[in-house]
Amino acid sequence: MPPPVTKSYARTTIPEVTENLDLVAPRVDYASAEDLMEDYFERGWTDGLPVVPPTPASVERFLATAGLAPSEILGRVATREVVVTAEHAAINAVMAGCRPEYFPVVVAAVRAHLSEMGNCHSTTATLSGAVQIVIINGPIRREIDVACESGCFGPGFRANATIGRALRLVIRNACRAVPGVIDRASFSSPMRYSFCFGENEESGNWVPLHVERGFPAHDSTATVHSSMVVIPATDFTSRRPEGVADTIVLTMRRRGLIGDRWLGDRHNLVMVVGPEHQRYFLEAGWSKDDLRAYVWPRLMAPTTSEHDRSVNIGRPDGLLIVAAGGPGMAETWLLVPHLALAVTVRIGTPPDTIGP
Amino acid sequence: MTITGLDPTTGPLERLTPPGADSHRVLAIRPPSLSGQVIGLVANGLGRGEVMLDALFDELRATDDVFGVVKVVKGSVSIPPDETDWGRLTRSATVAITGFGG
Repeated sequence: MPPPVTKSYARTTIPEVTENLDLVAPRVDYASAEDLMEDYFERGWTDGLPVVPPTPASVERFLATAGLAPSEILGRVATREVVVTAEHAAINAVMAGCRPEYFPVVVAAVRAHLSEMGNCHSTTATLSGAVQIVIINGPIRREIDVACESGCFGPGFRANATIGRALRLVIRNACRAVPGVIDRASFSSPMRYSFCFGENEESGNWVPLHVERGFPAHDSTATVHSSMVVIPATDFTSRRPEGVADTIVLTMRRRGLIGDRWLGDRHNLVMVVGPEHQRYFLEAGWSKDDLRAYVWPRLMAPTTSEHDRSVNIGRPDGLLIVAAGGPGMAETWLLVPHLALAVTVRIGTPPDTIGP
Repeated sequence: MTITGLDPTTGPLERLTPPGADSHRVLAIRPPSLSGQVIGLVANGLGRGEVMLDALFDELRATDDVFGVVKVVKGSVSIPPDETDWGRLTRSATVAITGFGG
């Protein structure tokens, strides 16, 4: 039997909390953590899974790590008369099982989702059960062990699992998207428990997503993309970049995408390119821009039949290309947008926001 | 030893619904008659909803003594009516019809 793998985590220094921050959330006392958990279930404060008790001390620790006052406003949902503060985000991040050093990422994700073009109300109330996906870029991926390679969409990675879950709990508890009440999803989606991954920026010489969107490479960012459906474009046989790209186009055009007057020409389709596809692009010297230049006009071409529909993403830079995933399956995953833009926010301060 | 937990919400869900209402579905009060009412039509932009609402109003006008109509077509399926349209509705319409979805 092989020896167990041990790993030394590079941990951010967590500031000591020396003063009692002005937390305003109502407090409830319990005899035990189990009692707390059961009561939180009964109150409808969880996603259906157990939560970590959000004690005042743990919440203060999270806020101190991000350097935020509890009252710092991260965003609003006007249609629900909701103002979301750093305190709300910290409580829900503790509940999700985050480590304190993940909290700045959660803050950036909440800011992104609650920005105007993140369109929280539509994307969390929708019948379609749209999923909020967090894509992490920059050095923080490696510092907090965000999975970017094999299995990165799935379970098994604490940072991915808990950062995505924290955003979901904020959407439920702070933004009030409770199923059957404001959240009207017909089926909803298991991807709503958590969907967070990092770009594998080291898998080639492609320009990372956040750099394409105007941030310096040394910055770390969170991009939140509300997706109506996630589709794998599978192609094991093509050996040339044009062939792989044609499969991506064909797969997406089976579904098609209509425009939206409010979003205008700024729709975002996210293409998560796995290494079995990426290598053909890299071998042929294709950059992200080259791939975009090939794919975009073919997606935008007019509809020809019920099974070959135009994909209206407006501008070439609406195509967001991200490298991720592990070897084996020759796939590119298409994260089809709901009625919002993918919004990128810098992790830390100041939280510069970039839309399309 | 006790453990203290913080409330993760921004307030009770009931705050969005009238006292005594079922928090899962809240229906507007139905007028006893459409006689003399100004009908607000809110088209949300999905499918052929606007055509359907126009046809519905024609039907109501033929069968009920409605006073008038205020029609709003949302700027996008993805957002609520803007303030101007809300103003037109709340100032003029006495009853409103819309669909939902998406």
